[in-house]
Amino acid sequence: MRSISIFIISLLASPLMVMAADKPANLDQLLEQVKRERVIEQEQNRIRETEFLEARDRQAELLAQAKADLAAEERRTETLNDQFEENEFKLAEQEALLQERSGSLGELFGTVRQMATDSRAVIESSMTSVQYPERIAFLTELSERKQQPSIDELRELWLVLQHEMTHSGKVEQFPAQVITANGEVADRDVTRVGVFTAFSDGKFLRYMSENRNLVELARQPVQRLRDQIEDFENSEAGVLKPVVVDPTRGAIMALLVQTPDLQERIKQGGWIGYIILILGAIGMLIALIRFVTLMRMEHGVKKQQKSKELNMKNPLGRILSVYSDKIAQDVETLSLKLDEAILRETPSIERGLITLAILAAVAPMLGLLGTVSGMIETFQSITLFGTGDPKLMSGGISQALVTTELGLAVAIPILLIHSALSSKSNRLIQILDEESAAIVARNAETQTLQRDG
Amino acid sequence: MDNLFQIQLLMESGGTVLWLILLASILMWTLIIERYVFIWFLHPREVRKMMDEWHQRDDLASWYAQQIRQGMIAESRVMLERFLILIRTLTVALPMLGLLGTVDGMIQTFDVMTVFGTGNTRGMAGGISVALITTMGGLLTALSGLYFITQLEQRVAREVNNVADALRRD
Repeated sequence: MRSISIFIISLLASPLMVMAADKPANLDQLLEQVKRERVIEQEQNRIRETEFLEARDRQAELLAQAKADLAAEERRTETLNDQFEENEFKLAEQEALLQERSGSLGELFGTVRQMATDSRAVIESSMTSVQYPERIAFLTELSERKQQPSIDELRELWLVLQHEMTHSGKVEQFPAQVITANGEVADRDVTRVGVFTAFSDGKFLRYMSENRNLVELARQPVQRLRDQIEDFENSEAGVLKPVVVDPTRGAIMALLVQTPDLQERIKQGGWIGYIILILGAIGMLIALIRFVTLMRMEHGVKKQQKSKELNMKNPLGRILSVYSDKIAQDVETLSLKLDEAILRETPSIERGLITLAILAAVAPMLGLLGTVSGMIETFQSITLFGTGDPKLMSGGISQALVTTELGLAVAIPILLIHSALSSKSNRLIQILDEESAAIVARNAETQTLQRDG
Repeated sequence: MDNLFQIQLLMESGGTVLWLILLASILMWTLIIERYVFIWFLHPREVRKMMDEWHQRDDLASWYAQQIRQGMIAESRVMLERFLILIRTLTVALPMLGLLGTVDGMIQTFDVMTVFGTGNTRGMAGGISVALITTMGGLLTALSGLYFITQLEQRVAREVNNVADALRRD
């Protein structure tokens, strides 16, 4: 409190201090000085007051200004809010419109994607892809795309389809890499007939859609067809030539490779098949031996029929020797002796024929046995796995069929050989049986005539 | 040319067995024709020769004469009956060959089934056509031969009797 009063006193005293410089010489002067200073002071106060007032007015003005500004801003907020709401509403409206419009566009996109996937599958399995492999990348990219395709891409898709359509209907020749039967890769001129058949250098090719390669068939079709394609390849453009087409797009050609060869076939027959084959070999051996013996015997008999000399190396000679040995005997004994000699000869002529007949009868029966055992196997697999997968059953079925086939294939030639051999041996026996008697009779007659004459 | 091509096509769809059937039936028909030619043209000449020889003999009743007569009949029978057994066997073998082809075709069909399942009917049809065509071929050729071989056998038996009649004992 005291410090404030000191502060005020010092404040009031300060002009006194200034005045103190020209120190008043007397009291009148002091009074004069005080009076003068009070006027100055009053003047100063008045100026200060005016300044305060001015400042207050300015503040009031500023406040009014600020209030006006606030009001203006508030009005603006209101307008903006309105606008915002209005925009919000418009936005929703536009969004709904967009939804509606892009709804049909999305459907289009789905269709395009599906179309791209489908046509990729078609083009991948088509032989034209060897010639134009770049289309597949485009289709793959299009079918896996998440965004909407552009107009250009739509046009490109259409072009690709049109391209495939045009080229699948053409016969074309183009250079391509071909995997040969040895597994080597060779550059060849390939002729393609539509998307069905392809060939090069007179050999049929197969299109592998998995890796888009042309592979030479390991087993080619019949020679006539190969000649035809070679002719076709070498003919000039514009000339009509016949050519083969595989309408299954290679399925039938692929079947050719799958067909088992003879060795695999025989293996399918199992042990019954081997038994049949061994029996067939035995039959063939017997047939060969009998054929040689019968030929030599027949030759000997023919020679004996013509000559007068007796040759003991053939059956007819041995029979005729009965007569020359016992020339003096009477007719009845002679006939008995002849019969005896003939009976002695017949078994050696007929030997082996019955074995052949039995073999020819047994082979188909063994085939039947194989059939039945194969069917048993088949039905066992049906019991286990049901009839769903025909591939499981085919093992037994192929055994059944192969043994039947082997049985027939062995029996038929043996049957034919047996009949040929038995007709030969019948002829020989007949010659011995009836003609030998006649020859003996002729000889006897001429001898009696000679004796009498 | 077109017809030839069709025959070739038929042979191809029948497979190897059909060729065997063709060969066997050609053999059979050659033999049948040969037999008819023999019976109609060559055999009468042989019979006349034998009759001349027989009638030149003075003695027609003794044991010797009988044996000679039997010998002559046997000789002509041997000549007449030649190939008959073979023809008969071929008529038996031809349906068997047809059966062989059937089995072969069925094997092909089942091969297709092994690889493709039952879906590939076109592939299966190839085997089935082999089976049917060979069966048909075997039966057709065998049946055509069957009539002629039966007729030939009867004819030969009659001819042998005729020979025996011709060489009378009186």
